[in-house]
This record gives sequence, structure tokens and C-alpha cells, in this order.
Amino acid sequence: MTETLTGSQILCRALLEEGVDVLFGYPGGAIMPFYHALPEFPGLRHVLVRHEQAAAHAADGYARASGRAGVCVATSGPGATNLVTGLATAHMDSTPVVAITGQVSRAMMGRDAFQETDIIGITQPITKHSRLIEDVEEIAEAVREAFYVAQEGRPGPVLLDIPKDVQNQKTEWNEGTRERGNPPTARPSIVPSFHRSALEEAARLIAEAQRPLIMAGHGVVLAGAYAELRVLAERTGIPVITTLLGISGFPESHPLHLGMPGMHGEVHVNRAIQQSDLILGLGLRFDDRVTGNLAGFARGAKLIHIELDPSEISKNVPAAIALVGDVRDVLCSLLPAVAPRNCESWRREIAGFVRPREESFRAGLSPQAILDAIDDATNGQCTIVSDVGQHQMWVAKLYRYQRPNSHITSGGLGTMGFAVPAAMGVALARPSEPVWAISGDGGFQMNMQEMATMVQERIPVKMAVFNNGYLGMVRQWQQFFHGKRYSATPIWSPDYVRLAGAYGITGHRVESAEQLDDAVRAAAAEPGPALVEFMIEQEANVFPMIPPGGSLSEPIEGAPLVSA
Amino acid sequence: MTAAAQAVSVLLEDRLITLNRAVGLIRRRNLPIQSLAVGPTATPGLSRLTIMMQSDTATAERAVQHLQKMIGVRAAMAFPTRDGVTRELALVKVRAPRERYGELLDVVQLYNAVLVDDSLDGLIVELSGTEAFVLSCIRALERFEVVEVARSGTIALGTANNLQSETTT
Repeated sequence: MTETLTGSQILCRALLEEGVDVLFGYPGGAIMPFYHALPEFPGLRHVLVRHEQAAAHAADGYARASGRAGVCVATSGPGATNLVTGLATAHMDSTPVVAITGQVSRAMMGRDAFQETDIIGITQPITKHSRLIEDVEEIAEAVREAFYVAQEGRPGPVLLDIPKDVQNQKTEWNEGTRERGNPPTARPSIVPSFHRSALEEAARLIAEAQRPLIMAGHGVVLAGAYAELRVLAERTGIPVITTLLGISGFPESHPLHLGMPGMHGEVHVNRAIQQSDLILGLGLRFDDRVTGNLAGFARGAKLIHIELDPSEISKNVPAAIALVGDVRDVLCSLLPAVAPRNCESWRREIAGFVRPREESFRAGLSPQAILDAIDDATNGQCTIVSDVGQHQMWVAKLYRYQRPNSHITSGGLGTMGFAVPAAMGVALARPSEPVWAISGDGGFQMNMQEMATMVQERIPVKMAVFNNGYLGMVRQWQQFFHGKRYSATPIWSPDYVRLAGAYGITGHRVESAEQLDDAVRAAAAEPGPALVEFMIEQEANVFPMIPPGGSLSEPIEGAPLVSA
Repeated sequence: MTAAAQAVSVLLEDRLITLNRAVGLIRRRNLPIQSLAVGPTATPGLSRLTIMMQSDTATAERAVQHLQKMIGVRAAMAFPTRDGVTRELALVKVRAPRERYGELLDVVQLYNAVLVDDSLDGLIVELSGTEAFVLSCIRALERFEVVEVARSGTIALGTANNLQSETTT
């Protein structure tokens, strides 16, 4: 059957064909034809955010929680530029996001028209791909290509820029004769590329190592290689370290789970790395926050690097063996060659590295107590979305993640303001599960306008605000490395309970450990969104800490005595 | 590893956005490039971008890996210039007084160059060869008054591998 459709109608149909069910966006002049068509497609739920940055983060959160591309929509000019931070966040953490931006009409382009901006140029370094759609006939294929590219191989954000007149352009649409499958311009997925002998050599190194470690990164979560990782660890007894984005790739209660490495990794984790003679790196890129000073990183260790993106091999840490491919696929090929062994003496040695730490927090309101209360109130079924800063490290290290992919955070870009909008995307991707957005008082104030979106769209995100009156992580650096000069880090907050009330959201303030359980339980029981503010110790620090540029062997375990 | 002259040869769709993206990547990754040259290939719709860089092999290989990930790039490879043929074209506008014309023509002949224009403003000399050869010729012409120089940047083909055939599958 042939019918005449506008570009906007074709765009909506193409999105439905890709399985899209929710869009996060904000209308404006150059995207109005799309918004005109949208009500004809009730299968596409549109969530009106309060700032386009939140649309990009929400799409990112949706993608991380569902494994499918999240979609955000904005108009030209300021609408498009407001997406930038969210796209950069998705790009650094390899998550599939498709951004659709309106553009001024073709005849106006290049003339500095009202709300014109070169969003393709602006986003080029922070997108996996981008495309200006120059004719209505391109739309269906371009959407197909965008979703394919965003999700294939190492995922990433893709931007489609569509001029207003192309959205209005009409064409004949023939439902029956259109071809499906991968778009012709897309490159084939990366197939595992390594020789059988490399697998055997890897298995031999695994069998012979005295002090082997597994370091699991985001690639484990992206590939869903949970079961394979567990088989590998249990068969060999090799302890498992999870990077910030690898957290929840391996259950925290498992006796082989060691913890997080790097700048705020526990002393015994980093020491194990430094003593190790073999590292099995699964889907991680050896970021500087993981390795510390590269020259001093794991000097006695050989690296078997299992990684999808060949350009990551030997980028930071030279690999003795590179197994390029999807982590799950590679592990499936590797496991038959891996012989059972144990690492008892090595694990005892690591246990001896553990350093107990005494910390006291005001009114007993420790990060551990707060996170335990959230875990209890949600029966361990919660997905935690964290922001960036001190609380992010506490949330990464202290929460007991048991379920796969239950920890979501902005790792590579370290985007403050991520948690609240990203949690909306997570909540829509996992409608039956509790979702907690945990922020500091700094990050929360960056995107707290999204409380309005939660109310209007009935998105039941629970917001936890760790309020210490400071931009805590920056303050900690000032305390340690800048002579305690607290420049621009004290931060005033509004009354969050009353603020939440103004949005029609129930708020709770927790000032001591005694109030903790009741407040968290009440928030968890609320059918809609809820907010809990925790008045935590003002000048608490995240310990241990590897000083910037330092090696993993040089942790700071207590606040320096400053006489500045 | 020591730095040596490396050629990175890239076949890409002949669209400005693709070229823009490839060049942007080179800037972003801070690659030590010396010249860029781009032009059509035997395959309609495909251009070849030749990037010359002074680097170790690993850096050139990493550039290839990053380029290969880009949509619109069909194939890329790196080779040390000793494993290929490199050429550059230059046009040099020179002025010389009448009495030194003979001397100038000697230089042109010595470098196998060609006099392609003789106008009021000066003579235009066309020369080609490796970058070192071209530079040496320009230095020789500097004995006269060099008014303007246009150079194409180096193009290269590897002797061992054939990039074009990789795109036909």
C-alpha cells in the first residue's frame, strides 16, 4: 500500500520500527513538524524534560538500564547545544544514544539563521557518528543506520540533524517493499579476531600464574558476560576486581570479589594489582583513574587484554596477549581451554593486605549506614544511579551490589548532574524496580529541575541527597593539595524538603542515624517520586586516595596535617 | 621505537563531512602529522587521504585503528615510507633578471622540473619528487627571487599492500 507521508511521519514510523517506546525531549521552532506528527503515534511516549541536558542523560540512563538505544530530541541551536554534555557522557562510557535535532530549513543553513548552529560540527568529537539528513528519502535509512551504529560493536551516541523543511517534505511511502537489515553504509560488527594459539597461550598463562587477577570493566556489563565471568573466576579461584563501570558485573558478596581499583580503591585491591604477575583485563580501557601513574602500574604483571575495540589494546598498558572481541564471545571461546586451579595462597596473601579503617561520622550518619538502609528498604532489588563526587565513591565501594547492572554512574566524563535525569531513564526502562538517584548537594542542584518532569510524567525516582554543605570532592583536594584553601567549595542549599514539597513530592530530612530507617522506608513506600536529604559529616574524606599522578603503591590513608 | 617517516593511507567516502571527521580525529588524538593530501581514486565516490607523519610504528598503527572505526572510512593502513613510493608536486613562482635566465633554466633542468608559465609577474616552475627532493629544488630556486610556493602535500602508495582491493569485498 502506497501513501503520502511527511518526513516527520516517516521519522516516527522508523523509530517505532527500531522498537523505540520512549523519547526524552523538548520542542522548539525547528523541530515542530516532528512534534506535530508525534500525537499520531501513541506507541512513542514523549517525556517532556525541563532542560535538554536532562533529555540526553535520561536517554543514556535508559540505554544503560535496558541495553537498547535511548532516544533524545531537541530543537536547533540552544536545544541542540544543551544536549552536548549528555552526548559526551554517553560517548565516554560507550552507551548507545540516538539524538535527533531539528535544524533550520535547508535554504537558511549557513546564513547564521535564527537558532542555527552547526551541531554536527560541535558534536563531532563526542559522537560515534552523526549525519545531516538532506532529503526526506534519506530519513528511514538514516534512522536505521543510526540505531545500528549506536548499538553495534562498542556502543556510542549518534546524532541525526534534520532540517525543518525536510521534516515537512512529503514522499510516497510503500510499507511493503521496503528492505530491512543492516544499512549498506554501516561497517560490519567487529568479529572476534585472534588466533587459536593466542587462546591456548592465554590459558597457559592463567594456569601458570602465581598471583593472577581479573579486572572487569564496563565491557562485561555491555556484553552481559556475567555468567561467563563467574565461571572463569570460580573455576580458577582468581580474585575479581571491578572498575567503577564494571561494578555489579560480579556479585559483591562473592568470596572472590575484591573491590574497586585505582584512585579511591581500597589499599588491598591496589596492592594486589601491584603484586600481581598476571592481569586478565576484561572490557576495560585502563583509564588513568584506574592505573594511577602508568610507569608504576603493575610492573610485574603480564596483561591478557580481552576487549572489543582494537584501538584500546596497548593504548595505556601493553598487552602480552590481545583477544579482540565481545567479552562474552571471547570468554566462551577461552573457557574450554581454561583448566581448574585455585589461588588459595595468593588469596590469603591479599587478605593480609586488608587495612581496617576507623572513621567516625556525625550523628552516626555514615555513608555505609545510609546505603545499607536503602538496600534494606528495597530488599536488594534496587538500581542505584549515582552522581559525581565523594558520594559516588562511597556508593561505588560500600553498596553491596548483587544483581547485574544495578549500578549506573558517569565514569569517564564524570558529569555532575547526571544522576537525577539518568535515573528517570532507568526508571522507565525498569518500571517494576525501585530506582534511587544518589547525589551530593552540588550535583543535585545542577539538574533538580527534573523533579517537575518526574511529577508530570509520574516517574517514581527516589532521590537521595548527601548534603555536607560543600562541593566535597573538590574540598577534599583543596584540603590535601591546596593548603586547605576552600575556594568556591562551600555551597548553600535550599530547604530540600520544602523544595520537594513545592513540586508536590514528599521530602524527608535525616539528621541522625535514628531517623534513617523510617525516612528511607517511607520514601521507598511512596508510589511516586520521593526525596531524602541526609545531613552528613561536613568535612568527611574519601579514603584511601592515590594522589593525582601518584602510583597505586602510594595511598593517602589519612588527612594531611595542614598548616597553611 | 624511534620515529620514522610513516604514511597513513585512508580510503574514504568523498564527502566533506567524512574528510572533516577524519582530519578532526587527527587533531583530537594529537598525531604528529607533517602533511595531508586528498584526491579521488579509481573507484567513483571514494577519495584517498594520505597522512604523512613522523612517528613510531605503534602511533601510526593506532591512527589506523581509530580511522578504521569511523563511519565513511572504507579502509586504512600505515607503512613506513621506505616500503612505498612517495611523491609531492610543487609549483614555484620565481622572478629572475633577464641576464640570469640561463642560470635559472639550468636549475630547472637539473631537477627535471618544467617551466609551465612565463608571464610578467615571473616564471612558474613545476616540480615533483619525494618531499626531500622538492625541498632541495625549492632551496636551489631560492638563489633567485621566489615569489610564491604551492605544494600538494605528499601522496604515497605502499609497494607490498593494496588498500583499494580491501574495499571491494
